Amino acid sequence: MSDMDEHNLLEIDGLSVALRGNRILEDINLCVPKGHIHALTGPNGAGKTTLMRSIMGGMPHKGTIRFLFRESGRVGYVPQFLDFDHSVPITVFDFLFLMLKKMPVFLGRRRAMRAKIEELLTATDCAHLIDRCVGQLSGGEFRRVLLAQALTPKPELLLLDEPASNIDEVGIRHFEEMLLNLREEHGITILMVCHSMDMISRTCDAVTAVNRKIFYDGPTQGLDHSDLLQQYTFL
Amino acid sequence: MDFIYDIFKSWAADGYLPAIFEHTFMIRGLLAALIIGPLLGAVGTVVVTKKLSFFTQTIGNAAMSGVAIGLLLGEPVDGTYAGLYGFCLVVALLITFVKNRTRLANDTIIGVVLAQVLGLGIILMIVVTSQFNIHQIEGILFGSLITLNDNDLIALTIASLVVGTLFAFNFNRFMLASFNRTLAKARGISPVFLEYLFVTLMTIMVVSSLKLIGALLVLVLIVVPAAGAQLVAPNLRWFVWLSVIFSTISTASGLLLSGILPVPSGAVIALVSSILFYGALVSRPLLCRGGPNQGEI
Repeated sequence: MSDMDEHNLLEIDGLSVALRGNRILEDINLCVPKGHIHALTGPNGAGKTTLMRSIMGGMPHKGTIRFLFRESGRVGYVPQFLDFDHSVPITVFDFLFLMLKKMPVFLGRRRAMRAKIEELLTATDCAHLIDRCVGQLSGGEFRRVLLAQALTPKPELLLLDEPASNIDEVGIRHFEEMLLNLREEHGITILMVCHSMDMISRTCDAVTAVNRKIFYDGPTQGLDHSDLLQQYTFL
Repeated sequence: MDFIYDIFKSWAADGYLPAIFEHTFMIRGLLAALIIGPLLGAVGTVVVTKKLSFFTQTIGNAAMSGVAIGLLLGEPVDGTYAGLYGFCLVVALLITFVKNRTRLANDTIIGVVLAQVLGLGIILMIVVTSQFNIHQIEGILFGSLITLNDNDLIALTIASLVVGTLFAFNFNRFMLASFNRTLAKARGISPVFLEYLFVTLMTIMVVSSLKLIGALLVLVLIVVPAAGAQLVAPNLRWFVWLSVIFSTISTASGLLLSGILPVPSGAVIALVSSILFYGALVSRPLLCRGGPNQGEI
């Protein structure tokens, strides 16, 4: 982190979102410096996923969202879960092929793509899953595949929606290591929705706690978790 | 067209093809089947993945009204193209529009529109059959090789070329958007645009297939081969190709049998397709080791 360029990669000013007359988010101001891992936390229904969707441009909002990209300008996204039919025979290879190539997967040259996709999966330690159907993967395995897709092409900003949900403790530690490695080795800035205070304190530089409005925004170092949780309860 | 028919007739006369292919209507039917079969098989994989099976049935039922509207507009009884394509496309786009504008479940919206389409279809049919012979219209309902003419075959060929090209070019995006809309958006894909595009392509193919398969059974050729392929395919590539193979076998053999037996082509295609589905179901334990559909039979 010492040689990291400290300019902000993402700046949000006065963001508000209303759906059918209900205010989901109100006057959100947030800065994510380049190279940081930043957590968004808050109770269920607080508007965290709405904020993520606004950042991706999929939600009408007031206020401004500025990306101060200096490289690829690409945003990678790892959703919380994928609602899909688990009986559809789509392998991990197919899944990544769909995203990487325009040539239809039933006509494409699989051998040529296989090496590339294997390399991609190796980055998130799941190359052995390449021929498994995505409907058969565990939560942790699928999260690593989703992370692999988000890293191609290399993003400047990576958005993760609850990466720790439905993963056991070993899987969470493994995932944390990958995130730290992405930041250290590749300089990728990460913004993630996370409920686990332990994961936030181990992995993130800063945390923003949201419940319609921001009720905490600051570094994780020295943060009193119980105080933050108490604020959850009374909001 | 006569040149092509003569080639087939000479093959039938020389014994390379069954004698039934000395008849022009059988050759026309075979050509239509070989165009429709593979394409509907491939389109069916996306229909099944997007859970649009009953959408297809609704379009088939809308065809009844489409034919009646075409006749009332003054189109010839053997070529109600404007009524058919026009009305079915309106229904398809209406369902998609309502789906994207509300939070109602897909099957609820389809149920609502299906009821409207059937009601309208019955009323229009009663009006139309007072002016036209019902036997000229039932070809659309059940599929009839006799009523398939050269214009139908030309329309089918053009539709298949356009739909096939656009479908293949967008296949990966259709599948990805079916998988997860938010993820698709993050990859720069517009799921709403793709949904409208897919239902348009699907509707064109469904309507183009009606004279061969019939409005009541068109669902079969889109859903059953893809469902059978889904049972045994180990990956997406095999899913598509097996669905294409099942669909082509169903249309070609169903057509042949309907030429020999006095039954509508659509009904025989439906039965052959179903036999292949159950064959896939029974052979699943042998064929799909490692696949996603290994549940107990």
